[in-house]
Amino acid sequence: MDPQLTSLIVPSEEIAKIEECLNHLVEDTGGNYTLLLDKSGQVIASQGDGDRQDITALGALIAGTFASSREVAKLLREKDFRVLFQQGVRENIFIALIEEQWILCIIFNKGTHIGLVKVLTKKATDELAGVLERVRQQHKARDEVLGSSFRTSMEDTIDLLFRD
Amino acid sequence: MALINVAAREIHCKIVYYGPGMCGKTSNLQYIHAQVPRDTKGDLLSIATETERTLFFDFLPLDLGKVRGFQTRFHLYTVPGQVLYERTRVAVLNGSDGVVFVADSQRSKLEENIKSLKELAINITRQNKKFQDYPVVLQYNKRDLSEILPVSVLDKYLNGMHWQRYEAIATTGVGVFDTLKAISKLVISRL
Repeated sequence: MDPQLTSLIVPSEEIAKIEECLNHLVEDTGGNYTLLLDKSGQVIASQGDGDRQDITALGALIAGTFASSREVAKLLREKDFRVLFQQGVRENIFIALIEEQWILCIIFNKGTHIGLVKVLTKKATDELAGVLERVRQQHKARDEVLGSSFRTSMEDTIDLLFRD
Repeated sequence: MALINVAAREIHCKIVYYGPGMCGKTSNLQYIHAQVPRDTKGDLLSIATETERTLFFDFLPLDLGKVRGFQTRFHLYTVPGQVLYERTRVAVLNGSDGVVFVADSQRSKLEENIKSLKELAINITRQNKKFQDYPVVLQYNKRDLSEILPVSVLDKYLNGMHWQRYEAIATTGVGVFDTLKAISKLVISRL
């Protein structure tokens, strides 16, 4: 099967490493919240203050912004824009691309200097790139993780929920 | 590419509704949003122009609950259909696990359907994916209108790949869940 169509399976021990890295980033910058997304907008992990209501929508919108900026880059004959910065009245968002496939996003307020965020985000992206490359290299079979009867159970759930 | 988070025991899949302008992609999501149980759905997020045309995308997260211990989520997106937004469609398609191609059954829209489907094939191929292996479900929408083409004609021009296809009237919900079920099962079968 086309390798692009297979799933990304992130094992528990790698999630722990990712969360540790995100936690360091929040603590060292004094930021509020950090998210790791894949380029489709799915949230892989997040760390920081607990009252963010709609992480799912945030993930979708940030990934959309990044994908859109990539197309802008192409029109300007740039390969891509590696980082994006959005400045608000209360909070700012700094977004960095990791290895074309993942997006690291940190939300911080005016107590944190953007220069510090840039430097520490670069350090975090290098570290995360290593972890994510290991995840990508693993070839765990779906059945090994989900169990062989998963598909049948899933189909039953789909039939139950998706109806008028 | 679907994401399976073993630590959180979560599975995320992305499904994109694609098709020419005004074919009914947003109507599909609106109907689904109105019908699924409250605890299954998140908010329907629409980035639209003042005249309710999709500018960037619509987004509807669906949470199917725990299946065999895994929390399973489908994220449904639509693309903006107007020709002008070609690069935006590329952006939304990024990382999708499957596509519903919504075709407008009206006789006058055949050419737009064909163009849009060709563009989809190009965009999927550009993401280094094989279009012939890609999970696609076809929906022939607006079957309630008078000037529509017979299904056999639409099949001839749009369904050379022999995808599953459903007739629909998205505004009233006819065929909407049949389409969603088909693409969901197809995506799950490819996990």
